[in-house]
Amino acid sequence: MKSFQWALAVVGLALGILLSFQFRITRDIQHTESVQRAQELSAQVNQMKKDYSALQAQVDTLRTKLDGATAGIGPLSPDLKEELEKAKVEAGVSELTGPGVEVTLNDSNINIRPGENPNLYVLHDEDVLRVLNEIRAAGAEAVSMNGQRLLATTEVRCTGPTIVLNRNKRLAPPYVITAIGNPDTLENSLKMKGGVAETLQFWGIQISVKKMSQVTVPAYSGGIKFEYAKAAV
Amino acid sequence: MNKSVYMSITLVAVILGLVMAFQFRTTSGVDQGVPYSREQELITEKRQLERDMDQLREEAADLSAKLEEAGKGYSEATGALQSELLKIKLYAGLIPVEGPGVEVILDNLPESERPGGNPSLYSIKDDDLLKVINDLRGAGAEAIAVNGQRILATSEVRLAGNHININLTRLSVPFKVVAIGNATTLKSSLEIKGGLVEYLSDLGIAVRVESKDKIIVPAFTGGLRFDYAKPTQRG
Repeated sequence: MKSFQWALAVVGLALGILLSFQFRITRDIQHTESVQRAQELSAQVNQMKKDYSALQAQVDTLRTKLDGATAGIGPLSPDLKEELEKAKVEAGVSELTGPGVEVTLNDSNINIRPGENPNLYVLHDEDVLRVLNEIRAAGAEAVSMNGQRLLATTEVRCTGPTIVLNRNKRLAPPYVITAIGNPDTLENSLKMKGGVAETLQFWGIQISVKKMSQVTVPAYSGGIKFEYAKAAV
Repeated sequence: MNKSVYMSITLVAVILGLVMAFQFRTTSGVDQGVPYSREQELITEKRQLERDMDQLREEAADLSAKLEEAGKGYSEATGALQSELLKIKLYAGLIPVEGPGVEVILDNLPESERPGGNPSLYSIKDDDLLKVINDLRGAGAEAIAVNGQRILATSEVRLAGNHININLTRLSVPFKVVAIGNATTLKSSLEIKGGLVEYLSDLGIAVRVESKDKIIVPAFTGGLRFDYAKPTQRG
């Protein structure tokens, strides 16, 4: 009975110390200047992202309204409208639906032995670039990756474990590429013997191609502005 | 006696649980605030967002102005539509553009000067050209063409025998890649130490990058056909 009480007292004491330590650590972390600064910055960035989406929604509404307003114009416009429609598809500013494929890419699942270069088994920007190129060669009409539409100016860059597209859109694996086009052609060209899928599988990179009867490729969610390029007439 | 033992064990367990939960919260809280990034990365992201927002605001203002025009009458509406078409075509690559930029010339070395035993391993491949294009895009190129073929969102770069196909057009060496953008940024992104120029030269490919005050990038001249992609119907 007595020894039991003693044990309880010791445990209580230890717990108390633990608790107070815990408190101190938590407070310390929050009050470190670099963490505070990063927290502040990330709060700002988050807020800006919200403002950005709001602005994007506004631009989308305006585009739709303009489409509606010009729909009623007389005889001249059908050709013009069709041309605009096509240019919009190529420019990537309209949301599109159609048959196509969904390609999922993920890092290698191979167990790396000590001494091997783990970098060889990680999905690189050039792998993604190659897959995208193959998809384009197979006649894809519109492509997006993790919800980011691919434009003529879209770069694919590795930064650490993530991939950056369209300047600052950071994507994390798994990477899901959605492409509109002939599903059979797209699938065959990716899975061709000696093709991209085979090469990537050699490094253990996981790639799966799924034919879809309907996929949606979103519009580019940003403003486009050319600072340097001007129309040459 | 038995009861008080149970009580105290329960009490200890509860407190322990609280401590563990606290511990967990602290750790994950710090993680969530700043994923992998440090301040520098956040600042870069912030600056980029600011620039993007400016562009979006401009786009919104432009669209509002056109919308207002369109409401005025027939000729104004047609005018608004035409100017919108011009803008979209510019983005799509259907209009020739000019501006400052760089010219990158890639050529194979004569077979006798190439390293290694198999000369065909050291000739320009589609991957090399793709990397050059991707690097230029990353450095902010606004319009790119290879041997007169404008690079669109749907353009492929594909090895076909001794040639490379772009926009289904057969191109052969030497490849002249032209890009419009900030000439200094474009040039240095290729010539940076450990960058593409170094890599390609090591492979035995002749690369030359020149910045120019005025570069003309031609428009895409093929026909656009979309058999599968249709605008999403809403409502």
